[in-house]
Amino acid sequence: MNAESPILRTVARYAIPLTMLVALRIFFQGHDLPGGGFIAGVLLAAAGAIHLLASGVGGAARVRWWRVAVLGLLVSVSNGIWPMLLGHPYMDNEFLHLGPIHLPTATFFDLGVMLIVVGTLMTIFVELSLEKR
Amino acid sequence: MAPPPTIASNVLPAALALPFAAAALVALLGRRLGRSAGWIVAAAAAGSSLLLLGLPGHDAVSSFRVPWLPEIGVEFALRADPFGRFFALLVSGVGFFVALYAISYMADDDERRMPRFWGALAAFMGAMLGIALSDDMLLLFLFWEITSLSSFLLIGHHDDEPAARAGALLALQVTALGGLVLALGVLLVAQVTGTFSMSAIGGDPARVRALLDSPLAPVALGCILVGVFTKSAQFPFHFWLPRAMVAPTPVSAYLHAATMVKAGPFLLGRMLPVFGSLPMWTPVLASVGLVTMLLGAWKAFRETDLKAILARTTGSTLGLLTLLYGFGAAEQDALQMLNHALYKGALFLVAGIVDHHAHTRDLRRLGGLRRELPLPFLAAVLAGLSMAGVPPLLGFLVKESFYEELLHNEAVSGFAGGRALVVFACVLANVFVAAVAAKFVLGTFLGERRDAAHQAPGQAAREGHDDHRPSGPPLWISPLALATGALALGLLGATDFTSHLAGAIASRRANPFHVSLVPSPGLPLWLSMAGMAAAVALYLARGRVERIPDLAESHHRPDRLWERMVASLAVLGEDVSMRWQNGSLRRYLAATLLSVPVLAGWALFRAGLSHRDVVVSLSELPWFGLFLCVLLGIATMIAVTATTRLQASIATTTIGFLVSMLFVVYRSPDILLTQILIETVSTIFVLLVLLFMPAFPRRDMSGPAHLGAIAVATVFSLVLTLLLLLSMTPGLREEANIAVRPGGLLSLALEKGGGANAVNVIIVDIRSLDTNGEITVLVAVGLCVYALLRARRARGAGA
Repeated sequence: MNAESPILRTVARYAIPLTMLVALRIFFQGHDLPGGGFIAGVLLAAAGAIHLLASGVGGAARVRWWRVAVLGLLVSVSNGIWPMLLGHPYMDNEFLHLGPIHLPTATFFDLGVMLIVVGTLMTIFVELSLEKR
Repeated sequence: MAPPPTIASNVLPAALALPFAAAALVALLGRRLGRSAGWIVAAAAAGSSLLLLGLPGHDAVSSFRVPWLPEIGVEFALRADPFGRFFALLVSGVGFFVALYAISYMADDDERRMPRFWGALAAFMGAMLGIALSDDMLLLFLFWEITSLSSFLLIGHHDDEPAARAGALLALQVTALGGLVLALGVLLVAQVTGTFSMSAIGGDPARVRALLDSPLAPVALGCILVGVFTKSAQFPFHFWLPRAMVAPTPVSAYLHAATMVKAGPFLLGRMLPVFGSLPMWTPVLASVGLVTMLLGAWKAFRETDLKAILARTTGSTLGLLTLLYGFGAAEQDALQMLNHALYKGALFLVAGIVDHHAHTRDLRRLGGLRRELPLPFLAAVLAGLSMAGVPPLLGFLVKESFYEELLHNEAVSGFAGGRALVVFACVLANVFVAAVAAKFVLGTFLGERRDAAHQAPGQAAREGHDDHRPSGPPLWISPLALATGALALGLLGATDFTSHLAGAIASRRANPFHVSLVPSPGLPLWLSMAGMAAAVALYLARGRVERIPDLAESHHRPDRLWERMVASLAVLGEDVSMRWQNGSLRRYLAATLLSVPVLAGWALFRAGLSHRDVVVSLSELPWFGLFLCVLLGIATMIAVTATTRLQASIATTTIGFLVSMLFVVYRSPDILLTQILIETVSTIFVLLVLLFMPAFPRRDMSGPAHLGAIAVATVFSLVLTLLLLLSMTPGLREEANIAVRPGGLLSLALEKGGGANAVNVIIVDIRSLDTNGEITVLVAVGLCVYALLRARRARGAGA
């Protein structure tokens, strides 16, 4: 898809960082307010899709998105394993107390979910865009 | 006998983790490590051995426990009783020598394959340690499967050779299938006894009795035995072991002589205190063991390939181990395991040296290597003598005590055919094995060099492929070390040391056990001497015996039979899936849409609910909700009557956004957010694939297919509407809603997850195991799309 209309490109220049910021915010508020890793991941993929539509597939295709998805799976699963090293069951939630910040380890699990969603969606977007017609 | 004290120990997980850490390191750093990969694996083996040796005295049991899935009583439980510790030490000790040997042996192999080789070898070692040290049966099963997988990679090391691939696949199919059946047996045992812990079952007579009284006991034992028999190549699953000899020789020595095939007898040792008094235990184990033992011994004598000979005799010894456990002779068994690991490991490694040196393993072309390979010759002589059971080697002690055991064990006389048959069969197998040992050692090293193709070593060096003298530690170290171990333990039999050792490493200690280098006159000694004489006679008459037609040879070779079975299974699977998965989206959709109302309708019928129980009335809907519903109806009509694909997709997108507006009405921001984003993303999908779609079909609105579709849609929407309306009925709502209930998911989320967004806390914390499965599927889908589209493009580019 090489539409590359100047209007879309101008919009994209502002829309993409904004979408990413919102995604970040939504990711972190997910514990108490609507949001979370899945939605943040979909939002990020939407930002990626805007980029893809505005500037062509070339830039997005340089990233091996499936690796992002696999990395996310590693993050999620390893987050489940390390409570076992402390003598707790698999996937047990812990709280990390870093000064004033109290971080549940489920956050890392959610981070993995986000990476998987972005990676998988972007893989599909990019691969479909690369198809010749 | 009082149970030995149990000591908590963090050394156990460390010893177990070392090989796995080495595997990860080797696999991650890959070829950058070069030759040092082997040293890392050897160091891990040595480290594990030292840690295990450093465990407190042999009368205490070390253990390490972490809850794993506490809800179903699964623990990450390690336990090193003397038997487990012995087996673990066997694994790590032999592993060290094998790794040391493989550094030089594999030096001239394709270096692209080496990270996989060392990684799989280290992971295999870790998994074997896991089998030895697991107390939890599910954990043991897990490690059992890891050994099957890593041995697949190791057997198929030369992945460019069809024979290697086929042999690896055969071994994987047989052992992994057996592993699954084993899991079934484990689950049955846990079901009856209520625990996965082997020590908890074995240490509690009440539990053992409850298990043995249960009608499920023979089924459970049968399942476990299938796992054992497949893993240790017992008849009728014996056929994969000779085919696995395509593996590199260090792998054969380690997996198929010293350790993996012994996981079966090891598990029998673990099960002996539990199932030992079940009536089927002795007849099944003894007859399977007996057949395997005789078949292996007979086949070994007729082979001419060095590794095939060793594989067949290994099969014979494995049969012997099974036979012994059938009679409950735990001490005998442990000692046999040790002896076999030492001499057979050494002989395999010698076979590898011979192969490297003479470029053949065929006995008909070998001979006279004693002067060129003096130290391997020494190792082979020692190991061969131990194999034949000649004093003063360990094999002699083992054989003496074995005959002693056969003549005095009460279980033997109860076995069909009686004591005389068993004793005769065992002596016969020993005669053959001893003659085979002579054939192996004498045929390789004595006599004259027979093959003109052999080159003198100097000539080979001049031609620049002097690959029998690679850099790294000399190859003869490892076989000589193992063979010397057999000699040392034999000589120590003059003292009480070996007797104590056998008692200390057995899975069950009954009567005082005694072996001695100084034979006491009696029937065992006579049997031994008669056997030795018969072996010499057999060796001398080997030419004549080999010409006897092989009665056990048939046109239906079991490995070919198995392969045909697997192939026809694949044909059947293809046939079934071609019927079910015929590629018609229409049919898939109809099946999905019909199964939902059938299941939901059944549930409603069972609960005795109908439309009369609906309490909500449409008047409760706010006016803007009603307005949205009207819009939804219009959009749906547009979607159904659309004439182009673009029109249809815009209409369905509109439906999606309108539904999300309904979530505004019902104040459900979480679902709203998700719905909007999903709609956006799926619209992008549709846009991306729109151009690849075939032309929009012209639809005949009155055709039977169309009427069918209308019927399916009507049934689906009616039942679902009823279901949704019923979900608001007061009594049902509280009962069904596990979230709102006191102590339900909502309060749990705040309490344990510390989050107010219950939906998210449920997803990432409380039900994270479910999410774990879902995200794995998601990644798999992404990878499939990637692979399929890439493959399609690559094909398109090639065409």
